Amino acid sequence: MTPITKTLTYIAGLALFAFTLAACDSTEPDDDGAGEGELITRVVLTLEGAGETVTATADDPDGDGVDIQIETLTLTPGTVYNGSVEVYNDLADEPAEQDITAEIEEEDDEHQFFYTVEGFGDAVRVDITDFDDNELPVGLAFQVNVTDAASGSGTLNVVLSHYDDEPKNGVDRSDETDIDVTFPVEIAP
Amino acid sequence: MTCNRRKVQGGQWLWPVLVMLLMPATAWAQQIEGQVVDADGVPLPGVNVVLPEVERGAVTDAEGRYVVALLPVGTHPVAFRFVGFETVRDTVTLAAGETVTLDVTLVPATLDVDEIVVRGAGQPAARLNKASLGVSTLDARALDAVRGQTLGETLEALPGVTTLSTGPSIAKPVVRGLHSQRVVLLNAGVPQEGQQWGGEHAPEIDPFAPAQIEVVKGAAGVEYGVGAIGGAIRVKPRDLPATPGIGGEVSFNAFSNNRQAAGSVLMEGGMKALPGVGWRLQGSVRKAGDAHAPEHVIGNSAFEEFDGTVAVGYHRDRLGLDAYFSHFGTELGLFSGAHIGNADDLRRAIARGEPAVDYDFSYDIDAPKQTVQHDLLTLRAHYQLPSDDWLEVQYGFQNNQRKEFDAHRRFGDPLDEPAFALTLRTQTLEAKLRTRPRGRFFGVAGVSGMNQANRNTETGYLIPNFRAMTGGAFARGTWISGPWTLEAGTRYDVRWMEAFPRENLSSGAFVQRTHTYQSLSGVVGAIWQFASTWSLAANVGTAWRPPGVNELYNFGVHHGTAQFEVGDPDLTGERSVNLDATLRHASARASAEVSVYANRIQDYIYQFPTLDETITIRGAFPTFEYQQDDAILRGIDGQVRYALTDWGTVQAVGSVVRGTNRTTDEPLIAMPSDRLTLSGIVTLPRWGVLGSSELDVSGTFVRKQTRVPENADYAPPPDGYALLGVGLRTEVQWGSVPLSLSLEVDNLLDTSYLSLLHRRSGPQRRVAPARPAGHAHPLIVSSVLQTTRAKDIS
Repeated sequence: MTPITKTLTYIAGLALFAFTLAACDSTEPDDDGAGEGELITRVVLTLEGAGETVTATADDPDGDGVDIQIETLTLTPGTVYNGSVEVYNDLADEPAEQDITAEIEEEDDEHQFFYTVEGFGDAVRVDITDFDDNELPVGLAFQVNVTDAASGSGTLNVVLSHYDDEPKNGVDRSDETDIDVTFPVEIAP
Repeated sequence: MTCNRRKVQGGQWLWPVLVMLLMPATAWAQQIEGQVVDADGVPLPGVNVVLPEVERGAVTDAEGRYVVALLPVGTHPVAFRFVGFETVRDTVTLAAGETVTLDVTLVPATLDVDEIVVRGAGQPAARLNKASLGVSTLDARALDAVRGQTLGETLEALPGVTTLSTGPSIAKPVVRGLHSQRVVLLNAGVPQEGQQWGGEHAPEIDPFAPAQIEVVKGAAGVEYGVGAIGGAIRVKPRDLPATPGIGGEVSFNAFSNNRQAAGSVLMEGGMKALPGVGWRLQGSVRKAGDAHAPEHVIGNSAFEEFDGTVAVGYHRDRLGLDAYFSHFGTELGLFSGAHIGNADDLRRAIARGEPAVDYDFSYDIDAPKQTVQHDLLTLRAHYQLPSDDWLEVQYGFQNNQRKEFDAHRRFGDPLDEPAFALTLRTQTLEAKLRTRPRGRFFGVAGVSGMNQANRNTETGYLIPNFRAMTGGAFARGTWISGPWTLEAGTRYDVRWMEAFPRENLSSGAFVQRTHTYQSLSGVVGAIWQFASTWSLAANVGTAWRPPGVNELYNFGVHHGTAQFEVGDPDLTGERSVNLDATLRHASARASAEVSVYANRIQDYIYQFPTLDETITIRGAFPTFEYQQDDAILRGIDGQVRYALTDWGTVQAVGSVVRGTNRTTDEPLIAMPSDRLTLSGIVTLPRWGVLGSSELDVSGTFVRKQTRVPENADYAPPPDGYALLGVGLRTEVQWGSVPLSLSLEVDNLLDTSYLSLLHRRSGPQRRVAPARPAGHAHPLIVSSVLQTTRAKDIS
């Protein structure tokens, strides 16, 4: 072999060696449950009134739409409920990061809940009772007023808007919806 | 090379009567003739003999003989070109009635690494025979005029090429309606492997680095391997200097719209002490603020980029060794107004038509943002064997790191930790043997391999971890006789992939899934140079592409488009069969290249909405599943240029694509609009210190895309638009340093426009193939002040 072909063979051999060497290590991931950073998997409504507590949960245990379960909220006519909402990410690694309610409370000037009732006319009303430093509604606490006239079935839509660049004005939803769940509502006679 | 001339007094020829009638006989009774042989004295048939100034030429016959008759009196440059040989240039002086015999010996050329370009490029006449497939080239001069813009914007000037853009900083080239994994991007001879899954990931290429960019349109699987079903983009670095001495080049660009500054410094040289060694260092920087639409600032669209290349080569006698390293690094903000939560949010944003917030201009890059680092190292050796055939080996290593930062992060600052980060490492190895021309034939055969690994960091999970290996073997041959060039080739590739998605795609344990895909590619082409300034080429090619890992395992909400996307692990590969016919003309005054094509893609992978919405805690999303159908893309594109006078040239560049789903008989989604650019270029007289100057005015007309599938988008396609641009380029001699200066104004009338392929996007998304945007996302690049440049400092 001439020195030139020797050099070439050497270079080719080296390249082939580097090529095959890297082919052997695995890309298998560690099963650490790494997941979506901003996921919400569970929303719990708790309504207290007339000496009883009613809850309804929307639960999406594996995240993002597979097997989502939304419970029906059963309400009694002629009752004023004090409501609260709790938000969880059950897929978060750290238990401290599973409860998102506290974070919303902390950043209440960047969040607002919107409650919309349908199917009962004016017979069921929801009013937000907590406010941020700018006197704008937050909605972690609210009041549900079920009048005597309420009957049948309908829905309660719960929306959580996140205000990042857009200013929160207490009226408009933002383009960044963190929660948008519709609970079926039954009025128990 | 040797040239022997013998002078023969003419007059013994019979001239056509027509010419006699039209012209004074003596003016045309001249000709040149001769024989072309190789170094061994073997006649070379099929050599192009061209007299470019008088637009005359001939092709040598089986004995290597040629005659170019009916030439005017005077001195004419003449060139002899043949693939695989160095072009020979000479001049002949013809007196009245004279016949000059010009015998020429051609010597084999140092073959370029060119894959598809059959004959040398550069000279107008050589373009006639360059390829049987449609090819458009941006040479150094054309690139200089647009330096500083992104690769996508740069290529938009070419016929058949459009751009898929996500904000001002991300522009992805679309070749005849196809992009991303359907177009192979070759950088310094190595297929670029970045995170190209999404339409909103731009190619990681420094626009200052290349000397030439070539777009090959249509299925080119034999030449470029797996994936080249829509074509290939070849980005070629500058050649290293061959002679001793040091030279340099400095470029500076400023853009008014986003107050962008871009600059590049290049130094290169050869060494006296080490003959044959050439080197180059190049670095470039770009810094841009938020872009402006006519009515508002596009918030958080600022970006910055730092790139560099180092190249060293040794070329002597029969051996060539090259090492090339490039780094590309960018940090870019994503339009905050595009960060949306669910489908209702997107509908409201579209209905509102403009951002909810009035953003102020800023250079700050805030979350949501991306950072991308791409490193490429290639080592190449080529050696001319004693038989004069060429042996080439090329190794490439690429490391691509992408980090995406969300707009906000629970329990902390979003900029502390990316929402997800991916590292893609790729190695490629290719070895091939190129034959020297043997008679009328030359060919190339080789093997190639690729080994790739993708890893996610702990934080998030976008594309599952995977490893892929590809191996292939190919052979191509070209046969040239007289005006005919015929080529044929085939290639076989196998891809094996091992991916680690979650068990039920959205959650659960990671599971191992393996896939193997294999198939053949093929090409048959012909070029017929039916006149000295005209040629017709036809090409039938077939290529294939395995499904991408995103198409197999995607699961979740694509935030930019508010779609819930569901991958399908059972997808099969795509196969395309492409038919292309190209008419070319090249003369001193005019040039043209017009192609018609039909690219049929079997098992074309695309997303389509299913009837059921996906309900999540964040709200309802339309569900998009990957489907496979037969598709066909047909179209015509071309470029025509004509010099009206010595100082005035007009040019037209146009593209039309029609994509149809043959299974449903509906239009394909996200096809580019019809597009036509008309320009007038005026060469200005030298004036004062100004050297040659050029003024161009161009109008770009984009038609509204009316061929869209029903119910597949939130908003109707945007209206058509027209843009006016003006450019002025000049050269100034500053001492011994030539400077070239240019001023370009794009969108002179400040028209607000939205291209169908401009899309909104958030970084929190999962990946998806192309989708048109609904929301107004105008991108206006206004005045571009460009370039001070010095060459040959030494």
